[in-house]
Order: sequence, then structure tokens, then C-alpha cells
Amino acid sequence: METPEEHPAAVVRLLWSRVIWRHWRREKKLTAILVGILALGVAAFLAVHLANKAAVAGFGIFTDSVSGESDLLIRPKAGDLREGVLSEIREQSGSLPVGIFPVLEVSAADQAIGSRMMFQLVGVDLVAVQNAPEYTEGTDAPPFIDGGVEILGRSDRGFISETLARKRNLEAGDCLPIFVNDRAVDLEIIAILQDSPLRPGVPEEMILMDLPGLQELAGREGWISRIEMRVSPGSDYKRNLDGLSTILEERGTADYFVETPEARKESVTTMGSGFRLNLTILSSLALLVGTYLIMQAMEAAVIKRRSEIAILRALGVTPGQVRLAWILESVILGSIGSLLGVVLGWLLAGALVGGISQTVNTLYYRTTTDSITLSALEIGFSLSFGILSCVVAAFVPAREAANTPPALTMKSGSQKGGLAMLQNIPLGVTLLCGAILCALLPPYVTNRGVNVPVGGYVAALFFVLGFSILSGLLFSPLARILQKGKRNPLRQYAASQFRKTEGRHRLTAAGLAVAIGMSAAMGILVASFDTTLKSWIGHLLKADVYVSAPGSTSITNESTISKATWKAVEAMPEVEGLDVLRRYKLVIDGKEVFLGGSEYNQNSDRFLRLIWLREPENDGPLGLVEKTEGRFPAYVNESFFRKFGLTKGDQFSLPTPKGEKPIVISGVYADYGSETGVVIVSRKNTRIWFSDDSISQMAVYAGEGVDHSELSARIGQEHPSLNARTNARLRAESLRIFHQTFSVTYALEAIAVIIAVTGLGLALSGLLMERAAELETLKSLGATRRGIATAAAWEGAGLAIVGLSGGFLMSGALGWLLIYVINPQSFGWTLDYAIPWKSLAGLSVLTITAAAAVAYGVGFRYAQLRYDRVE
Amino acid sequence: MIALQVSKLKKSYGADSVLAGISLSLKEGERAALMGPSGSGKSTLLNCIAGIDRSDSGEISISGEKISDFDENALCKMRRENVATVFQFFHLLPTLSAKENIEFPMQLAGWEKEAVANRVEELIEEVGLDHRATAMPHELSGGEMQRVAIARALSIRPKLILADEPTGNLDSKTGEDILNLLESVSNTYRIAMLLVTHSKQVTRICDRTLQMKDGRIIGQEELSDGNS
Repeated sequence: METPEEHPAAVVRLLWSRVIWRHWRREKKLTAILVGILALGVAAFLAVHLANKAAVAGFGIFTDSVSGESDLLIRPKAGDLREGVLSEIREQSGSLPVGIFPVLEVSAADQAIGSRMMFQLVGVDLVAVQNAPEYTEGTDAPPFIDGGVEILGRSDRGFISETLARKRNLEAGDCLPIFVNDRAVDLEIIAILQDSPLRPGVPEEMILMDLPGLQELAGREGWISRIEMRVSPGSDYKRNLDGLSTILEERGTADYFVETPEARKESVTTMGSGFRLNLTILSSLALLVGTYLIMQAMEAAVIKRRSEIAILRALGVTPGQVRLAWILESVILGSIGSLLGVVLGWLLAGALVGGISQTVNTLYYRTTTDSITLSALEIGFSLSFGILSCVVAAFVPAREAANTPPALTMKSGSQKGGLAMLQNIPLGVTLLCGAILCALLPPYVTNRGVNVPVGGYVAALFFVLGFSILSGLLFSPLARILQKGKRNPLRQYAASQFRKTEGRHRLTAAGLAVAIGMSAAMGILVASFDTTLKSWIGHLLKADVYVSAPGSTSITNESTISKATWKAVEAMPEVEGLDVLRRYKLVIDGKEVFLGGSEYNQNSDRFLRLIWLREPENDGPLGLVEKTEGRFPAYVNESFFRKFGLTKGDQFSLPTPKGEKPIVISGVYADYGSETGVVIVSRKNTRIWFSDDSISQMAVYAGEGVDHSELSARIGQEHPSLNARTNARLRAESLRIFHQTFSVTYALEAIAVIIAVTGLGLALSGLLMERAAELETLKSLGATRRGIATAAAWEGAGLAIVGLSGGFLMSGALGWLLIYVINPQSFGWTLDYAIPWKSLAGLSVLTITAAAAVAYGVGFRYAQLRYDRVE
Repeated sequence: MIALQVSKLKKSYGADSVLAGISLSLKEGERAALMGPSGSGKSTLLNCIAGIDRSDSGEISISGEKISDFDENALCKMRRENVATVFQFFHLLPTLSAKENIEFPMQLAGWEKEAVANRVEELIEEVGLDHRATAMPHELSGGEMQRVAIARALSIRPKLILADEPTGNLDSKTGEDILNLLESVSNTYRIAMLLVTHSKQVTRICDRTLQMKDGRIIGQEELSDGNS
């Protein structure tokens, strides 16, 4: 005979088979809701993580798929590298067995009408790649083997990827019409690049060309974007690689720097990490809401079975065995929910990845959307997180139920429940004070130079917990308000439940407050962005037509407009004047920044006026032209100011192909278009420094009486490669991109509110079950089923009102934190605080209505059950 | 042999004294009815004896074992092996059928499968539930549920059965049947019974009555037609 003391597992097995499993079978809906809540929580978290990963995983060095991964990269500090550097490097590397591969990368736009696709033309020395040891000594063949010599030196021929060929139904011999800078080109497809299991897949938008051909096509003869270096594999590989690194570092020049592909990827994906970190934190907070609600749901489940637990205890089951069984139950429920969450998260990630990838492309760097992949580690983490949340959520109420003397539980009537912590008002006040102190902390700077607002995130957690606790204080005034006015016995009964609230009411309200608080805070952030951006765009976009180089509206678009083209636009009779800008990529102190060479309209008093955070002495068209004490004046944006800690009057050196140039900052301006640091100098200087007369974009001021739409259309007709948009269209487009950036947050908000209202329904079900005897009394006093349901609806609405009020207070604090602490620290943007009153009013009506409706349904159901049959 | 010995048992809820030094004893096979007005402490006394509530002071011994010093696990063991409770509202496990409810305490106590099966068959027959063995609690009448509860209490062959208003939720005919059943099993297995009741009907099967008021036993009466 196995006694329970000898074999506690036997008892747990018995409880599992006879009680838990059967309960699940009997309460299929409740079990499904519990699992569903958990799955949604895990899915929201995982989806954002996976979509984030897929959106940035696409960043790669394009030539990886052609020539294999390089060991070292040599990149220019500014603009492009002179081809002459190649011979210097060959000389420096001496007798080391090193492959040297020069690469030129050029953006190109799709000519297809309505297409926003950008291509990346990659010019490599195909002969050198074909002779690389991987192909001469290994089993793999280069992907362009079919092209033969037909492509060498040709500026109108290229290879395309398998994916593009499949999607566009293209084959060798077809033509692909593209714009390279402002030139229309019909590129002949020589062959399709074959994917190989031995190399990374060829990105869809990559077009491979022979280096001299691409140099000719892009007008970049004698220039390359980078040099890739590969040490021959073999026993001396490590020694040779170390030797090469040492030589290059020792003899490095002011023109270029050396880095590994890993470091390159890391430094690029560091940009935008603030955006991604914010998303991750947001999804974690969605999980926090989920945990609250799982706790609420599990508590409701424990209440439902509290009398069952008491019977078990009366029959001799020990509190430890009850706890163990409950933990086992929560582990199993947690596992099922988390597994479903993993699948759901994976599916959801597919829906989110497009939006995130577009945002990253628009604001940070070029990436392709990778397929969503799930690693064993991610599955393990999601499962552990979900299971742990479920166990933690179940443990507190189960411990309470197991430790309550059965005699007490078997007595009918309401019993305490919820988290004891939620009744600890001094703790709530302390947390709020702690939150304010944490918000004052400076950001933590990682060794990759990323600002992480750790204090801000801790403050957010403290605000969430603090307001969760303090929201319970709102029950008493609500009870007084509900009892005022015309006597309505059912409303009076509902109000009486709030007079002396116990933990369960507080837990429900806290769960709802967290969900509402988070959603409303995101609403405040989005509204603040919206208001600031509209005012910024309104201030900034004063020109009549905006013209940019072909391709998407993206900071990564490196296409240019030739001097001939932009001068032709300037010469149009309808045009009064132009502001022009040429953008270059630079690396300062290892951080990528953009350099703008700008030239303002001098034909009238209309020219680009920035919003100043530190105003220059002269912000007129010639403000950047005159040197100050031998230094070139420059404006920098807010991100630059925060990243480098440099402000008006400060000096620094700017790397250019003509050497380091001394700069003095004459003004700092607000910039919501980029998280990357931007330095603006006069184009008169960049023309000389970069030997380049092309521009990236121009703002056109029309003469009096000129129809802007017609002017925009005419520019488009005369220069089909250019993107010409009227002021109104550009404004609308900018706002569209902005809203698309936040589409992920809207999805997360919706999930949080759905979970919250479901949790409220579950909590009310538990509350009404406990009051079964009371409901019986109401019935005996003449209350109808509908009457009882109405009382429950009042209670549900009351709970929603408390949750909303607490949530709105929380959102006010979180909104302040996001706008004044987290956002400036992680993005470097200052926003105007704006409250979206209409959206919040809509959210309130929706939540109260949903809560009242769910409560009515629950009340209606319980009103028909007999007290002695409530299970 | 003494089945139950309670001496100077005290219990308070805050300032309210519920049991004010109760002493009583029950012999093996003896049945006593505990009577008194509401709030006199009858159910609290029963719960303390069953170990599902704790007394503040005093001693309780069951079959010579002093349980007032037992920890929670030891009290659970006692409930699994020696003491069973029959409740006014039956308190059957809602997920188990009648037969499974009866099996459960034996399985919990670690009985062998065969022994459980034999005992359940015996009990089902004894309480007259042959035709309802597979019914779920919500499909049973009040009388049938109480029969299941009694069979469940008997299953572990307890030395003491505590019954809290065992007929309180039943009609008089069914109540009569249940009392006959309790009397019969007590006589057959020499089980001591302490029955909390308001009903004179219950005293019919008892050897004596104990009158409680304000947490004290204020009197007792030996009943001549008892079956002790």
C-alpha cells in the first residue's frame, strides 16, 4: 500500500486524474479562456520580438551571397573610396595570402509605375571572385557561372536573384527597366543568380554587375564603396588574419578604416535599436498586462474550486499536496497556452514584420524582410516565460486557498482574495515616489554607444505597480456617487459591493488599469508625435513642390540628381528658386551620421527654415557660407547633439575625402525625420570636399500664380526619373509613414484591451459565484433574472470606471515618462505633450460598454443557478 | 474503549468566545446528539474535532491519540484514517460520480486497487445506491447525495463519524432513512458518532443528548431507548 506520506506523487496523480482533468473537461469554456489569455500574452511578446528580428536580420553585406563572407572590410570614413587605395592595400598586405575584392554599391529605383521597390546594384570584380579559393578549390560554384564573359565591362547587363526572377517572371535575355540616379536604364538580364546551400541566399533586390560596368553606369569611375578582404583558408588562416589586421590598422590612413563584417552588422543594426528596444519593452509590458490578467483568471478559477479544495482538505489532502497539484495544473495549462502562444506569435509576427521592416528602412538602414524564424532558444524562452507567469499567477491564490481552514471555506459567503499587496497603500505611494526618482536618472550608455533609459523603464514599472495599488482607493468615492440620485435598488446593491472592497475587486480593477494605462500612454505618445510632427511638417514644408532622386522616401536611398537635371528644373520659367541638399554617409567616432550639403534659395525670402533648439546668429540663406575663425559653420540635429554631446559653439573634425575639416556648430535644430545624427554644412563646401555636383533632393518655390500640381506634373513629365510631389502630397505621405510606424502599437493596444475585458468577465464570474447565496436572497426578495444581471452590469461598469480612472492617471504619468524621459534619452527627440481626448473618450465608452455587457451576461447566467448547485 | 475525549476546549474569534472550555467523551459505538441554539458553538466544536478548524486551548484525543498537538499533515492523516465527517450540504466532489466519490478517500489513503473495488461494492449495496453508482452528484437527489456522503465517510472504516446536521437539508421521510442508515452502520462497525442537530428526530438514534449554550455544555440527557 502506498501511503500519501511515502508517495506524495501518487496523491498528486490521483488529484490530477480525478479532479483537475475532469474539471477541465467539465469547464471547457473557462479552460479555453484561461489558455487563450495566456496564449495572447505570450504571442504578443513573441510576435514583436520575431518581427523585430526578421526586419533587421535582412541587413547583410550583399556580396556575402556571391563571394562568401569576408574576413575584413575596408570602408571610407566619408563618401566613397578612391580606387587607388587598392594598390596601397595590396602593397601593405605584402606576401600574405589575401584575396582583395573591391565593391561598389549603388541604389537604383524600379521604373514600374506605382512600385516603391529599390534595387541595390552591386559591382564586383567578377574575375577576381571567380578565382577565389572557395570556387577554385571547393565544391561550390559561383552563382554567376552561367554569365560567362558576356557581362565583363558592360554597364547595361546584370544578374538578378532567383526570388526577383520568380516574382516578376523574368528570365535571361529579358530587360529590367530601372533608374540609376536620374538616368533611365534598360538592364539586360544575363542570367539568374543561383542560390546555394553553401552560401547565404541572394537578396531579392540585389542586382550583380561587373565593377567597371557599374562604375560607368553610375558615373563613379575610379570610386568604390568598400574593399572586402578574405584570407585564404588553411592551417595558417588565424595567423594570417591577425597579421593582416595588424598591418592594416598600423598603416591605416585618414581615408578609411578597417572592421569585421560582424562589427559592421552590429554597428549598423545599433541604429534603430532604440526603436526596437521600445517595441520590445512595449511587448514585455503587454505580457505584464497578460500576467495580471492570468493571475485574475487563475484566481477566478481557484475561487470556482475553493469549496472543492476545502472538501479535499476535509478528506485528508494536505495543504502541500493541494499546492503541488495546483502548480502542476498551472504548469500544464501554462505549457498548452504558451505553445499556442508560440504558434500564434509566429503567425502574428508575419503580419507585423512588413510594418517594422518598412519603418527600419525609412528611418534607419537598408534591410530586407527575412522570413520569420524561430530558434529553439526563443521557443524555450517563450515557454518558460509563459509557464512561469502562469505558475506565479496561480501560486498566490492556490496557497491562500490551501492554507485557509476548510471549515472557513465551507461556510458560504464572500472571502478575501486578490493580492494582499494591492491593499498596501503606503507601498503604492512609495512606488510612485521611487518612479519619479528613477525618472531623473541619466540613461545607461552601452559599449556600442546606445543610450538605454534604464531609469525610465524602471520608473515605468514602478508607475504601473504604484497606480495599480492606488486605483483601489477610487472604489469608495465611486460607491458614494452610485448611491446618490434616484433610489434604484439594483444600482444600490451594486454600489454596496464597492463600499468595502476586498482584494478581488482591487485585483480586477488593477488588471484593467494596467491595460488601459498602457494603451492610453501609447495613445498619448502617438498623439504627441502626431501633434509635434504636424507642427514640424507645417513649419518645415514651406516650398511648393518637392523633388527627390528616384526611389523610396528613405534615408537609405542614395540615388542622386545630376547637376544638369536640377539646373534644368531651376531654369523652368515657373520656378522662382530652389533649396537643394546633397546627403552623404559619414562615420564619426565609429558612429554613422549623415552629412548634408545644403544651398538655400536666394531669389526671395522663401527658403527652408528649421525649428531651432539652439538658434544660430544668422539663419538666413548665407548663414552656413561664411567661415567662423577658420572653421566651417554647421547646423546639427537634436540626435547628433544627444549622441555626441556637442551643442552650439562646440567644435569637431569632419572626415571628408579631402581630409578632416574643422567644424563649429552654429545651431541645433529639431528633426523628427531621422534618429541618425545629421550635420548640415554649405553645399559650396561639400562640392569641393566630395568633388560632386549632384544633389539628393530639392525644394522648389514656384512663381506667383503658378499651379503647384501642374508644376509638379510638368517636372515629372520632363524628368521621369524624379519623384516630384506637391507640398500637400508630401505632407500626407509623411503622415502616412508616421502612422505606419505606429501600426504595431495599435495592434498591441487592441490585444491588451481584449485581454483586460475578458479578465474582467472571469473576475466577475468568480465574484458572483461567491455571492451565490446573496443572489438567492435577491431572487427570494423578488429580483428577476434580468434584474440580477442588471445589478451585475452596474458592478461591471463600476469596476471598469475604477480601472479606467486608475488607468488614465497611470497613462498620464507613463505618457510624461515616455515623452520627457524615455523618448529624448533613446531617440533624441523632444515632443510636445498632447492628450488624444477623443480616442480616450472612445476607449472609455468601449471599455465601460464591453465590461457592462460581459457582466450582464455573467450575471444572467449565475442568476439561474441554484445556490446549492453552484460549482 | 474511549473513541473521543475532549477536555477544556476553548476557541475565540477575536473578542467573541465561541467555545468556553468544553469537555466531553464518547465511547466506541456510542452516538451523541449535540443540540443547542444557533451560535452556541456546535459546528465549531465539530470542526475542531475534525481538525478542519483549530482550537485555542484544551485537548482532543481520538482513540487515545492526542490530536490537539498534531501538525497540519498529521491532522490530514487522521482524517484519512480515523475520522470522517458528514455535512449538511453533502460536499461531494462535483467532478466525480457517486462511486468515484466513495472510492476517493481510500485511494487517497493508498489502498490497493482490489481492496478499493471490493469495499466500494460493499458500501454501495449497504447504502442502497446500486442503481445510481455511476450518476454524477448533480444528477442525484438530496437523499441520494447524503447516502453517497455516508458511504464515503464509512469507506475508510473510521473510529469516529462527525455529522453536521445530516438531515438538515432533507425531507422527513428521506431524513428518517438516513438516520436508520447511520444507526445501522454505527451498530455494525462500532463507530462512535457525534451528530450536531436541531432536530428531535435525530435524537431517536442517539444514546444521549448534549445541550450547548454560549460555548458551554449546559446539560446532558441519557436516552433510554438508545442502542449503545
